[in-house]
Amino acid sequence: MDASLTKFDRNMAAAAFAEAGEFETAKEFLAEKQATAKKPEPAGVRKPYGKMIIFGAISLFGYVLLITNQKLVTEAFTMGGWHAAYPVGTALIFSFVHGAFASNLLSVLGIEAKKH
Amino acid sequence: MKKLLFIILGALLILPMVSTAHAGGPPPKDVMKGVFLSVDDASRTAQFKKSGTEETTALVLGADMQPGDVRLNKKVMVSLDKHAGENVIKSIDIMFMDMSVTKIIALLVIGLIGGLLSGFIGSGGAFVLTPAMMSLGAPGAIAVASNMCHKFPKAMVGAYKRYKYGQADIKLGLVMAVTAIVGVQIGIKIQKYILNHFGNAGSNLYVSFIFMVVLVFVGGYVLYDAYKLSKGSDEAKVSSLALRMQKINLPPMMYFKVAKVRLSAWITIPVGLFTGMLAATIAVGGFIGVPGMIYVVGASAVVASATELIIAFVMGAWGSIQWGLSGLIDIRLTLLILAGSLIGVQLGALGTTYVKDYMIKLVMASTMLIVAVSRGAKIPGYLADLNLRPALEPQTAHFLSQISFWALVAALASAGLIISVAMFRGMVQAKSEAKVKEIFTHG
Repeated sequence: MDASLTKFDRNMAAAAFAEAGEFETAKEFLAEKQATAKKPEPAGVRKPYGKMIIFGAISLFGYVLLITNQKLVTEAFTMGGWHAAYPVGTALIFSFVHGAFASNLLSVLGIEAKKH
Repeated sequence: MKKLLFIILGALLILPMVSTAHAGGPPPKDVMKGVFLSVDDASRTAQFKKSGTEETTALVLGADMQPGDVRLNKKVMVSLDKHAGENVIKSIDIMFMDMSVTKIIALLVIGLIGGLLSGFIGSGGAFVLTPAMMSLGAPGAIAVASNMCHKFPKAMVGAYKRYKYGQADIKLGLVMAVTAIVGVQIGIKIQKYILNHFGNAGSNLYVSFIFMVVLVFVGGYVLYDAYKLSKGSDEAKVSSLALRMQKINLPPMMYFKVAKVRLSAWITIPVGLFTGMLAATIAVGGFIGVPGMIYVVGASAVVASATELIIAFVMGAWGSIQWGLSGLIDIRLTLLILAGSLIGVQLGALGTTYVKDYMIKLVMASTMLIVAVSRGAKIPGYLADLNLRPALEPQTAHFLSQISFWALVAALASAGLIISVAMFRGMVQAKSEAKVKEIFTHG
């Protein structure tokens, strides 16, 4: 069957065959449509739903923790001196977790870099 | 050899001009953090407990302050007026603003668009984030510190993405970053000198004026270049200045693989110095760094903007530690901006894979030129501060400050719009090309 047939073409062809009593051929047209629609994606580009959910959950948990402990973070993180490690370290950790979430989110949304 | 000497000397001469003042400079020294315990209306003194100590000191209210200005039992930053006497308060800022849902949403949105811009042109976002945070109620020093701390993880993620797309030149980035750090030191020294000799108003005026000139000049040139490229051939040509620079054969010579440039290490020095000085003072070193890498070093706009992210990462990390040591980072602000900007920066980074080189230049130029308007609107106020013109009417002053703020918002919004549209069109085109290819191969 011609792969470049549109959905409309297939449906029309199926209807034509069905009207003519060629039920098997009509089914073939419709099945073909379903098969192409459900064509499995290559293993490498499967959408990372799981990763997105896991990193998203960790990230969200972190933000909830931050908003509910505002007093603690504003006090402890601004003592100066070696305490500088707190804000800088936290920013780094968030960037890894939330950055991974963001990256997976874009992949799930189907926004990918152009392949050369 | 003469040319090189001329460049280095020229760079040293221009140093004081581009070095800018207050906003992104070193953490302030005459500032105390702590809590006010009580205030006495009659003697105009307030008991102040400094953070980290148990002792209390009596501070005198400055001449134009009211006892009502002193907020008790809230962590504040107090700056002292050394000229008015010992322990005289100049101003009081509440260190940590109260978060509301509106503020959180505002930070998320600004972060997202700022990140988009950053991922696309290598810098940006900072010039609007700091004023935005200040208008939401954060004191200047906190806004700068929190922005700095959000910048380096964002730049790291952006640089990693663009390295994966084969756009970032790590070697060029590191060389530039090292010289930029030196530039920061020089910038701070000069800034102090100007401040001591011309006062705050003089320094503000000087900075805004020079900054505006630099933005208009460089931004205008980048825009002209982008316009030329958009009409003519698709491939950007290396500028004639860069070609001349590459002919200078002064060891040590360096080869930058991704940028496809071989040039003397001495050429990157002035470019790096400028980047550092702008980054240290107004947190947008990229406005000099990226055009510098394009027109002086000879990298393409894609490689220059990607490499700028590496510089921003190194500079941001270094700066964050400095500000962290002074304890001025409000991690809530940092992380809330990061929430949006980490998505934006990756989106912007992959956006560059769909557009032509001139698009990056176009976004960069339009951003720079609109930011210049914002800076320019502040000049009349500074002139009045220096008594070089009559004081501004309150309405005029308000109008100008509104222009200044909304110009920044417009810069961010227009850049976000151009990037989104360009990216969307690029994606649609790439998809239809892929389809045509598929039909040809399978059809």
